[in-house]
Amino acid sequence: MNIELTAQHKALQQEVREYMKTVMTPELLEEMKISDLKEGGGPEFRKQYARMGADGWIGLSWSKELGGKELSHVEQYIFTDEVVRSGFAYPFLTTEAVTPVIAANANAEVRDEVVGGVKQGRVTIAIGYSEPNAGTDLASLTTRAERDGDHWIINGQKMWTSLGNFADYVWLAARTDPDASKKHKGLTMFLVPTNIEGFSYTPVHTLGVRTNATYYSDVRLPDKYRVGEVNAGWKLITGQLNIERLSLFTHGQVDSLYQGVCEWAAETDAPGGGKIIERPWVQHNLAKVRSGLEVVKLICWKQAWAMDQGPLNMADASVAKVYSSEFFVELYRMLLEVMGQAGTIATHSPGAVLKGKLEFRWRVGAVLTFGGGANEVQRDIIAMAGLWMPRTR
Amino acid sequence: MDFTISEELKSAQQLAQQILGDYTEVDKLKVIEKREDRFDAGLWQALADAGLLGLDIPENHGGTGLGFYSLTMLCEEVGRTVAPIPVIPVLVAAAGTLRRFSSNAQKEHWLSAIASGATVVTAALEEYNNDDPAAPGCSAQKMEGGYSLSGTKICVSHANSAARILVSANAGEELIVALVDPRAAGVTLNAQIVTTGETRYELVMQKVQVPTADIVATGGEALAAMEWALMATRTALAAMAVGVCDKMMRITGSYTSEREQFGRAIATFQAVSHRVADCFIDVECLRLVTQQAASLIDQGRPAHEAVLMAKIWCGDVTHRVSQASQHCHGGTGVDRDYVLFRYCELARQIELTAGSSAQLTGELGQEICTQYLAKSA
Repeated sequence: MNIELTAQHKALQQEVREYMKTVMTPELLEEMKISDLKEGGGPEFRKQYARMGADGWIGLSWSKELGGKELSHVEQYIFTDEVVRSGFAYPFLTTEAVTPVIAANANAEVRDEVVGGVKQGRVTIAIGYSEPNAGTDLASLTTRAERDGDHWIINGQKMWTSLGNFADYVWLAARTDPDASKKHKGLTMFLVPTNIEGFSYTPVHTLGVRTNATYYSDVRLPDKYRVGEVNAGWKLITGQLNIERLSLFTHGQVDSLYQGVCEWAAETDAPGGGKIIERPWVQHNLAKVRSGLEVVKLICWKQAWAMDQGPLNMADASVAKVYSSEFFVELYRMLLEVMGQAGTIATHSPGAVLKGKLEFRWRVGAVLTFGGGANEVQRDIIAMAGLWMPRTR
Repeated sequence: MDFTISEELKSAQQLAQQILGDYTEVDKLKVIEKREDRFDAGLWQALADAGLLGLDIPENHGGTGLGFYSLTMLCEEVGRTVAPIPVIPVLVAAAGTLRRFSSNAQKEHWLSAIASGATVVTAALEEYNNDDPAAPGCSAQKMEGGYSLSGTKICVSHANSAARILVSANAGEELIVALVDPRAAGVTLNAQIVTTGETRYELVMQKVQVPTADIVATGGEALAAMEWALMATRTALAAMAVGVCDKMMRITGSYTSEREQFGRAIATFQAVSHRVADCFIDVECLRLVTQQAASLIDQGRPAHEAVLMAKIWCGDVTHRVSQASQHCHGGTGVDRDYVLFRYCELARQIELTAGSSAQLTGELGQEICTQYLAKSA
């Protein structure tokens, strides 16, 4: 039992941190002021993403055959943590979640096209799971793919297709057997090139960032873009959810907010003398955040370590999701309370504290407790898999 | 980074589980609970015979030398079984401090006797409104052949039966750590019944003469000894809380899966199962911060902040899991013929020992303030 980063881990952490400073160029920061480009997609984002590829930073966790370095999950977490901390809109779902699944299951031509493109930082992939009537109950999705010789004809609508406005592909779940005995058994995965005829999108502006609705109208997709066996898509969807979560709730992104607020409170005069941080209620909030953050760090480390030992325990994965998502939301509030009215001043307005990062993170954070599997479902899983309690009904 | 528990530690844990399981059947607990001292001497001796009292005592002093982490694992098992034995004051606060800070002669004299079960040495770290043994209200005066101690310690476990009680006192500017003989002239022990039902003691010292042979440390060493004792005690309490809370939560999971109302097991109501799932999350969080603190102490690494956070989580989680368990049991939970009340009492006892969550959150906040003011200056 030794719960500390090794010297090699710390060196990797430092190396990524320094490198990411060079990625976050003034030009990129300027570009990210445009609200539609906050999550990537602009020319400067593409330039830096490609540079990361050229410098060998993409796909570190992949197998050597795919050109990766087979980093352990712990090392991969350290990389992810630092990249998220830097604020770069790195497409983790593309690189860590979807690409390895494509590499393992796609037709050779498509595999080379996609894996090579991602490795070079050219290709991004959006996720096409949710639909207007299929959210938490994802298996009930109705986007149809019907076989037509060597092609599939796809019709339907996806919702919350983030990056769909600039991604090169959508990783699409579609129903190929409407009569399957269980609804999750009739799904197949496809890669849809976004320049294909019949694909379109409209923006969806949220409390936080821009996302998209995407539409598939008689999209005629060659069979080579099918990934995995027909009607065997569910396993490909669920197989990478844990990896997805490991990149969602990292420690560095919230730790840097905590440190930023501590620094601000130590520098800022309180009315009547002293600094803001000397007030007992401020100290109370900071200490609450500090002790909650410690668990985020430990959960992340434990999950990464456990994934290096074997498959992740279901209950533990759900614990990580529920705890982190609910704590993030609390953390945003407790830190915003320290700033008070100044905490409401938006990015780029005069007087914004920490460049309005917290005001913005709070907005984006609204999706955390239901995104990636609603917390109610996670709690059901914990009760069943962790405590052997009967299924709720 | 490695969360693996070694095979050696696992087998010690299994041995502890087996012995504790045998001695903590409800009927046996009820017999012990009728006695004023609430001490299961048979269990204590069985643990000694299995080498489990000496987990953190070096082999040359009769222990097994597996280290502090393994001792916290024992504390967790004691919590899981609500076993009536004083593992924390005796093995953590007293023996752990003696092992690290006492003279060779003192180690020679006390450690193997503690490990063999022949002798109990307890510790008195707390005073009224003061749980910091590094800043005690008790005073000491240097005199020919030793010190004279005066002052009051509270809620001292096994003070009446222990051979010595480890205490700290201020000798002017200097802190001292001493072993007080409860039978010495000037010592008064007043029984105090605490939440667990156990009898503890108010230790009143009036010019108690402590010979040089029983002075453990003075000055900087004494300060380091008491800082260590407090950190180790808090961490051991958190480990015990992991056992207590994990068990309470599992009892509740089982009970709600069997208890039927409205024609179905109440665990099939999400309002119920989610409350128990929240306990599961809480226990996992507590386990992680506790493992971190315990492994840092085990390796002699700086652990102050990690320990504060572990005890903050300990106080919050014991309270929440205890209340949720009671609630989900309905009336059954409060019935003394059912097992749960012992866990709830021990949970509250642990929560309020060696610093509450509110107090330690305040301390952590002050430390954060000091740290960042220094940075910005």
